[in-house]
Amino acid sequence: MTQKRIVIAGGGRVGRRAANLLDDRGHDVVVIEEAPEQVGLLEEEHVATIISGDATRPSILEQAGLDRTDVLAALTQETGSNLAICMAARHLQPNLYTVMRTEYDVGDEYDEMVDDVVFTEAAGARAAVNLIERDVQTLESVAGDLDILQIQVVEGAPIAGRTLEEIALPRGSLVVSGASGDQTARSDTRLEVGKTYIVAVEPDVAHEVVNLFQG
Amino acid sequence: MSQREPAAELGLLDATMIGMGAMIGAGIFVLTGLAAEISGPAAILVFILNGVVTAFTGLCYAELASSIPKSGGGYAFVREIFDDLSSFVMGWMLWFAYMIAGALYALGFAPNFLEFLHVYGVVPPPGEVGAVTLGVLPVAIPAKVALAFVAVLLLVSVNAISTAASGSIETIFTATKVTILLVFVAFGFLSAGGGGETSFTFQNFDPLFPEGKSAFSILPAMGLTFIAFEGYDLITTVTEEVENPRENIPKAIFVSLAVTVLVYILVVTVAIGTLGAPGLADAGEAGIAAAATSFMPTGLPIIKNGGAIIVFGAIFSTITALNAVVIASSRVAFAMGREDQLPSRVGNIHHQYGTPFVAILASAVVMLLSVGLPTKSAGNMSSLFFLLSFVIVNGAVIKLRRERPDMNRPYEMPYYPVPPIMGILLNLILTSVLVEYLLRTDPLALVLSVAWILLGVVFYFLYFREPVASAADQTDATTDDAGPDATRDTTGGND
Repeated sequence: MTQKRIVIAGGGRVGRRAANLLDDRGHDVVVIEEAPEQVGLLEEEHVATIISGDATRPSILEQAGLDRTDVLAALTQETGSNLAICMAARHLQPNLYTVMRTEYDVGDEYDEMVDDVVFTEAAGARAAVNLIERDVQTLESVAGDLDILQIQVVEGAPIAGRTLEEIALPRGSLVVSGASGDQTARSDTRLEVGKTYIVAVEPDVAHEVVNLFQG
Repeated sequence: MSQREPAAELGLLDATMIGMGAMIGAGIFVLTGLAAEISGPAAILVFILNGVVTAFTGLCYAELASSIPKSGGGYAFVREIFDDLSSFVMGWMLWFAYMIAGALYALGFAPNFLEFLHVYGVVPPPGEVGAVTLGVLPVAIPAKVALAFVAVLLLVSVNAISTAASGSIETIFTATKVTILLVFVAFGFLSAGGGGETSFTFQNFDPLFPEGKSAFSILPAMGLTFIAFEGYDLITTVTEEVENPRENIPKAIFVSLAVTVLVYILVVTVAIGTLGAPGLADAGEAGIAAAATSFMPTGLPIIKNGGAIIVFGAIFSTITALNAVVIASSRVAFAMGREDQLPSRVGNIHHQYGTPFVAILASAVVMLLSVGLPTKSAGNMSSLFFLLSFVIVNGAVIKLRRERPDMNRPYEMPYYPVPPIMGILLNLILTSVLVEYLLRTDPLALVLSVAWILLGVVFYFLYFREPVASAADQTDATTDDAGPDATRDTTGGND
């Protein structure tokens, strides 16, 4: 896997957090945001190239370099704007993969127009439930910045086919599970091509870990 | 399962020192003598004017680095705005510029190391430095080439199996170099009026230009020594590791350039003022060291000879600069591998060492082959490629401003579009002077340079033509990768 170029429309809390996570994993991120104060916050983080303007306008969207973009994610607060952004982007670049954020559960209503829909409130609700019902927690609510990833080992990746004994992961990362998550990892656990592993990573080393698993 | 340390954060001082470390590194020790040979006492102007020329490009780097948060230096910025072929050529040239710079520094290390051994009486005076030619079948490998080869091999191995030295080590390295140079400058000025043969005197600057030559004669020397100012590209190859980058990167670029030019002026003034331009020219790559041996106090305990400090400084500087370009060249190759502009293997890190192993090995091959070149050819070629890539970087600023007017630019250069236009013009002038000079004096360097570009273009078309059959698969794979799974479910919303 080579590094992807991802355009995020909307640099609010959701967009900014997504930009940070994608940058941690070594991707090339562009954020389109209109509000000056949000632009200022993004600027400080220095994780993405920023286009200041209204993402629903094609003249602004084009400046994000859509011809080389792999995925466009419309993550503003408004479902209508997000749909408009995805459709405008698709119009400019027909093969673009689009993801939009919605304010409510829309099911498969938008399937014809966008590739994927994310209902961020559902994730937010899960996080809230995790805090209320403390005995059982789902993974989305990992405290702090530690990220628990499910990563597939890709053919030709640096660690493909090697055991944990043979490799050296950066400090700040830990392979938690064996192949397909059936048991915990041991030093003789082999990282097999096509199998998925659960890996805990700190943000600083996420891109290195992704590189090791996915090349 | 053993673990490695992640990369450290770099502060303003570290970032500045990375830039200065590369610029003050070897250029000053290795190229001063060569510049004096071409332009006489006007070598002092050569370095000042190069500082001015490069400042325009520095402004462009500052603007680009503050707005495009990618490590990979000039290549990453050009990749952002130019098409595949142009950005590939940019990366290809920058990669070569660093690899050849590696050969240059290794070749600069060797005579200084021999001089060091000579100071302690281990070997006879290094007489025939710079006389090495690239034979088709070299019968005997000169000591200089062998030493340079070993130096490259050593540093490549170190970098291949352990992650890059942290910013604080680079800071200590650079501080050491600057201190040694300041000792040199201090003793040089103190020797004024001493009446000795090599006491500092301004008479050595008269006439400023060599006899029978016009002021334009310094242009080829500017071309040759341009490589000394490539440091800010190096700063921008570590952008992602710098804290508060939108402020610190432009600052680091300007501060390192200003301090570097100042140090160059002082050192070159002293070198010419003491040894005189002809003496400096005779000493070639070990010019500064030779100047130092001539006026530093002798008869000291342990170190025996004050000049040994400077010779040590030259060895230390060339080695640390070599280390920096081994890292820089591999970073450019690594970035190209990540962008799929070189085989993706080049963009992988090693499963155990955590280093861009393949990128380092690929760079090492070219470096090792190039240590067979004459030092001057290496300097010329490296400068040529830095000049050309800086032209493209200046162009990228203009293209970005036109095509992406709404892109956020935390640092905007003053008086746009004057700096990039001046940058392009001045770099092109130096390029053409250098090419003309190479046609007359060093056709080998020119042939090799053209050959490298042609090789790149051929590789590009073969590499991108070959997978056309499987291009459809690749598109599919990309689309599959893009979504969490093939079925287009609503994530999170269907509970």
